[in-house]
Amino acid sequence: MSAPEKIAALRRLLAGRTAPAPDAGRVLPTGLPGIDDATGGLPLGAVTEVVCAAPSCGGHLLLGQLLAATRARRERIALIDAGDCFDPESFPADLLAHLVWVRCPGPVTRALQAADLLARDANLALTVLDLRLASAAELRRTPGPLWYRLQRAVEPADLALVIETPFAVVPCARVRLEFTVSHDATTLGRPRAELAARLSPVLQRHRLRAAV
Amino acid sequence: MFAVLHIADFPLHAVLRSGAFDAGGPAALFDGNGKKSLVTTANAAARATGVVPGLTAPQAVARCAGLAIHAPRPAAEAEARALLLATALNLAPVVEDTAPGAATADLRGADPTRVSAAARAAAAHLVTAGLPAAAGIARTPFLALLAARRSAPGEVTRVDDETAFLAPLPVETAEPTAALVPVLAAWGVHTLGALHTLPLADLTARLGADGLALAHRARGGDPRPLRAHPPPREFSAVHHLEEPVATLEPLLFLLRRFTERLALELRAARLAAAGFTLTLRLEDGPGHARTFRLPGPTADPDILLRALHTHLESLRTDAAITGLRLDVEPARPLERQPGLFETGLRDPHGFADTLARVSALVGAERVGTPRPADTHRPDSAVLAPPAPVVPPPEPEPPHAPWGPPLRRFRPPLPARLEFAAKDRRPSYVWTERFAGEVSAVRGPWCASGGWWQADLAWSRTEWDIALADGGLYRLLRTGDAWFIEGEYD
Repeated sequence: MSAPEKIAALRRLLAGRTAPAPDAGRVLPTGLPGIDDATGGLPLGAVTEVVCAAPSCGGHLLLGQLLAATRARRERIALIDAGDCFDPESFPADLLAHLVWVRCPGPVTRALQAADLLARDANLALTVLDLRLASAAELRRTPGPLWYRLQRAVEPADLALVIETPFAVVPCARVRLEFTVSHDATTLGRPRAELAARLSPVLQRHRLRAAV
Repeated sequence: MFAVLHIADFPLHAVLRSGAFDAGGPAALFDGNGKKSLVTTANAAARATGVVPGLTAPQAVARCAGLAIHAPRPAAEAEARALLLATALNLAPVVEDTAPGAATADLRGADPTRVSAAARAAAAHLVTAGLPAAAGIARTPFLALLAARRSAPGEVTRVDDETAFLAPLPVETAEPTAALVPVLAAWGVHTLGALHTLPLADLTARLGADGLALAHRARGGDPRPLRAHPPPREFSAVHHLEEPVATLEPLLFLLRRFTERLALELRAARLAAAGFTLTLRLEDGPGHARTFRLPGPTADPDILLRALHTHLESLRTDAAITGLRLDVEPARPLERQPGLFETGLRDPHGFADTLARVSALVGAERVGTPRPADTHRPDSAVLAPPAPVVPPPEPEPPHAPWGPPLRRFRPPLPARLEFAAKDRRPSYVWTERFAGEVSAVRGPWCASGGWWQADLAWSRTEWDIALADGGLYRLLRTGDAWFIEGEYD
């Protein structure tokens, strides 16, 4: 048996022993035309990276929209807040009734550990890992296997995992969205729903599920 | 019909089960710790090398160099006995503690097609728990005991043809009195089959009442009422460690034994655990006690152990542990059908376990669902345990939020400001993270509260600022200090 045949046989063997990956078509709609039109929504069983490359670019507006979308379906959402920057008072109290907020300031690896635990829980529909305040050096030092471990944890689950980062750093992200434009001062006087509807991140990556 | 669960060499296996000993190697139980103590029980591996009851330790070790020597442990025997009876109580509600290592269950009224499978499962469960039990099913308790003794561990022997089963057995199995043994030997009666052939009237005439009783036992005896063992009313387990323990594995080994037995007792009583209390006795100083509330009553030992494991993983004690106790709070199990549109937890115990693990990682006070506190002081939300069921959404508030939500900097970033000479508004800002020219300012907004109590009083003035390079921030002044409280995102 040649080496490629051996690799193919090994892949088939592993595919038979591991849980089948969910259908690539299953998504969690966000309710934002700028995202749903491009990707259909957040892919379930996969990692979505949201790169917030500019200050005040709308990452939290997106989080608020995700809170509203999951609240309407009475699904649970977990937020691992590695920067301890979530402000509950910025949202109506009823919008947080389904939220598990994990205040996790400290090393990135600890936030990844918490995400790994929550990503394996069958009761959650969405997990958001906010790493925007992590230093660039720490994010670059994060071992690659930790990201792939997260991906493997999510794959068999009915869960979407969103990782917010200051720059593109998650190698295994199936979808990567990038916010590059800061809000201007006039947005402070506009309804939030209108601001959310105008969110239009740049789609940097949209991978299909790899065939085994 | 009766079933007997029987464990051969029970005291020895009870001791072997209580520690991480090699149950397959040669082992013997002695009647004490002294030099003159004698072997009371030996397992099959030891008996194969010639170790028999009555030998002294040097004699036994001379025959079997690798012999593991054990002294009796009444606590281990009591724990094993409780496990055996709990297993039997899951077979039938009326159970007799017949002898050490033998429990009899009254199966009268049970479905005869299912009793064999149930008895086999009970024996296999005991084998998995470290007790090599066998089961016997027969018309009488005595016959069932004989059948169990002739079964291999984990197996069940059901006696349907009593004559064929009893015929080859030695006459000693019917427990003749000492006076009858030589008489029967002189008659050439060595098996129960041979005893059957003797006419009952002649046997009674020659051997009297003892002979008649022997003949009855040789035919399997009669069904008798069992001395019912009362099911436990309190569900607890205690263990005193011989050596102090400072690592997790020995504790988990013991707790697994505890939870398995307690779960069996709960199931036998048609109950479940609503919560439990773990008490650790420390070598010096006060002990450690922790009470657990479960999201729903359960009698699953794995769930109980998982909660204990999660807690112990993050536990640090000042001294080694010398004993532990587990007390279970019983409750009636919940049996209901979920509603069609109910959005409860799919796996409540899994969710509780996940939260416990995350709490162990980041701290219990940092995990939960945010709830507004009864104050207008900013950033005062508290964390509450997540609700078991997500409530239906409320109607949208009349005043929908405006502007982007705030991302707080905790603690706020100290800021230095430059003010425009014309209107004294901020024109430039410096912080440790960013700096830039201020292109737009909204405010000020003043707020205060808690003025009636000195330690609760607060006062603040806020502005919203936009930087020319991009970024919307909340500027905060408290006293004479300036801060950037957060970023509108």
